[in-house]
Amino acid sequence: MAAWARLASRSRLRPSASGVRGPPRSSPPVPPPPPRAGRAGPAAPPPPPPLRRLLRLPQVRSSSAPTTSSLGDRWRCLGGERRWLASEASAAVPAGEAAELVEVPLAQTGEGIAECELLRWFVAEGDQVDEFQPLCEVQSDKATIEITSRFKGKVHQIHFGPGDIVKVGETLLKMIVGDSQIVSPDNIFPSADKSLGEESVVPSSESNIHSGTLSTPAVRHLAKQYGLNIDEIVGTGKDGRVLKEDVLNYAVSKGLCREQSSSLEESTGQVELLKEAKPLPGVPLYEDKKIVLRGYQRAMVKSMSLAAKVPHFHYLEEINCDSLVQLKTAFQNVNKDNTIKHTFLPFLIKSLSMALSKYPMLNSSFLEQTNEVVLKGSHNIGIAMATTNGLVVPNIKNVQSLSILEITKELARLHEMASHNKLSTADIEGGTITLSNIGAIGGKFGSPLLNLPEVAIIALGRIQKLPRFDDDENVYPSSIINVTVGADHRVVDGAMVARFCNEWKGVVEKPELLLLHMR
Amino acid sequence: MSVTRSAGALGAARPLMRLVTMSGVPILRQLHLEERLLRRTADNWCVINDGTAPPTIVMGVSGRVSELVEIEPVLRDRVPVVRRYSGGGTVIVDQGTVFVTFICNKSAVAGLQPFPRDIMSWSGQLYDKVFDRFGEFHLRENDYAFSHHKFGGNAQSITKNRWVHHTSFLWDYDVKNMDYLKMPKRAPEYRLARNHTDFLCRMKEYMPSRSVFTDGIITALGEQFSVQPTDLETVLSNDEEFVPSTKLLSQQDLEEIVSSKGSSSLGVQEVEA
Repeated sequence: MAAWARLASRSRLRPSASGVRGPPRSSPPVPPPPPRAGRAGPAAPPPPPPLRRLLRLPQVRSSSAPTTSSLGDRWRCLGGERRWLASEASAAVPAGEAAELVEVPLAQTGEGIAECELLRWFVAEGDQVDEFQPLCEVQSDKATIEITSRFKGKVHQIHFGPGDIVKVGETLLKMIVGDSQIVSPDNIFPSADKSLGEESVVPSSESNIHSGTLSTPAVRHLAKQYGLNIDEIVGTGKDGRVLKEDVLNYAVSKGLCREQSSSLEESTGQVELLKEAKPLPGVPLYEDKKIVLRGYQRAMVKSMSLAAKVPHFHYLEEINCDSLVQLKTAFQNVNKDNTIKHTFLPFLIKSLSMALSKYPMLNSSFLEQTNEVVLKGSHNIGIAMATTNGLVVPNIKNVQSLSILEITKELARLHEMASHNKLSTADIEGGTITLSNIGAIGGKFGSPLLNLPEVAIIALGRIQKLPRFDDDENVYPSSIINVTVGADHRVVDGAMVARFCNEWKGVVEKPELLLLHMR
Repeated sequence: MSVTRSAGALGAARPLMRLVTMSGVPILRQLHLEERLLRRTADNWCVINDGTAPPTIVMGVSGRVSELVEIEPVLRDRVPVVRRYSGGGTVIVDQGTVFVTFICNKSAVAGLQPFPRDIMSWSGQLYDKVFDRFGEFHLRENDYAFSHHKFGGNAQSITKNRWVHHTSFLWDYDVKNMDYLKMPKRAPEYRLARNHTDFLCRMKEYMPSRSVFTDGIITALGEQFSVQPTDLETVLSNDEEFVPSTKLLSQQDLEEIVSSKGSSSLGVQEVEA
């Protein structure tokens, strides 16, 4: 980022920025002045090594000699080289222009990339190159990138070979260029066309794609850091390009940071941000955190919004699970397979299927447009599962044809898949009714929302030990489960749900009825 | 899936993108085609190759074979090794791999700067539309993943006026094939030293079919481009002058590496055709 600041300000400070050719003028001595414009005063700490060193070469046209003494000293140091360079310069550069030896650095290829591997050169020392002509190819992480020349000129010296690692900012090569060429920091590779700024752009809501404002990735990153919209910032660079100073000045005007003091540390981008009072050290910071909803959570937003449009009613019933508890214990006792764990749910699922056979309306689907109800042939009973990624409802297919053992195994398989986020579309689609065993986590009652296009959903509360009366009117401890049935009142009425529930409850409380009706 | 065809109705005409769909084409041939489309045409292209044969190891442009590939089994089983023209890492591809490549002019996507991260981000947004309803899709570092499991690897090549972003998608993969590859020295942080089985996942476990996947891509592209299916035959011109840089390493090349272990001579120099 620092590189850009220096180059940016260099282009503005350079007297020749407007492209006026002419006799040598009192140009800034080497090294270049500090980047802050308008800075007066005593010498600052030694500036960081400049990226682009200008060695003024003697002009072909002999007019007035340069006036600054330091420049004269420099020339004397060149000594014998001078004559050789003069002829080189005259060959490389149009007559009438002063020639400059320019160091071309590896420019920033994007945020956070610090170095690239040089792959190959397209030019050799001594070659004439045009502006935008490819010079070499580098690799940064996943991308191979062609670097094009900012200047028209001649390749003087190549600094790296294929396979070498080049840090961003290091000099790749030296070129002899004509003085009249405007050195703009913005002609970075791949050559940024003017067309980028002139296109009428469809505004994008995504933050990473920038609609038409010209700037380098580093400057855009800076704007983002301040939370600024780069499109609002007036650019003072070439073609209205937004430069780092523009962002910083805009931030100052917005009160986001203090006015720049004259210190070179700023050029490295460390600016103090004036926000709300900073917390005391050691005290934790309680900040808002934004979470983008994805995957299952996103699906839930959609499905629940639709479900809310359906008129629901809820029916609450209590089921005595004493027999079920005994049955589960019996299953466990005869169980020889360690991989199978018997729970209440498979029996509840099978008995639910039995009740559905008698009341198929609860295993149906309502088609609003045609006012038709599709009575589904299979009982694909969905089981709501809470995973780390959110709520998901896979279903067990064809429960009417499965044994309780098969249901137990399938349920275990679906749990396994869900916990590893590996449920297939087939597992999730095609459900006809849903069971939510929320009681496994907690709760007595629920008012579940339908899993459309189903017409019924059942929430199971947790099993509680409660005092109940037996047939002889004695109080005894009973395992009670509360069941809430949610149903689509456009299709199903209270009476039907009540009868269906009675049927289901009857089988659960007297499991032998399951044997009686089993096919 | 939201249908925002109105994107085109906002006034700006959508640029043309030619679509080439193929199936089972050898990866070397596909990469040569891509290079030709990149360097010798001025059109925007989307190339989809559904599955490839034979199973082939494909390295990035500057990959060092000895560091990335178990050369002895590769020589023994005669697995082809290709060095492609784009950056990035090493993969082994087969019938379970689906390739999707975008070749675009700099100006093709309005406001998109031709830098690696910008293009990567743009691709992530495009694919988010494709995958969002099938799983928890993320662009993680430079990979496409469901949750923390990678199913798509990316590479790019950026030239003066154009760029390529291509992906190898793991619709399915053969665990045994992974044994030909070494664990890479450089790995994304989220990999956390997991081996291939724990790090990767198969798309077929998230999506119903390959065609749902490829149709989804074409639909998503249609929001930004005017997609025109192009016949493969018309694309394969007789451009004999063009020499692609993607190369198949010969048996001899590989044997030399085995015999001169530690030498990096067969590194990048190969790229210079």
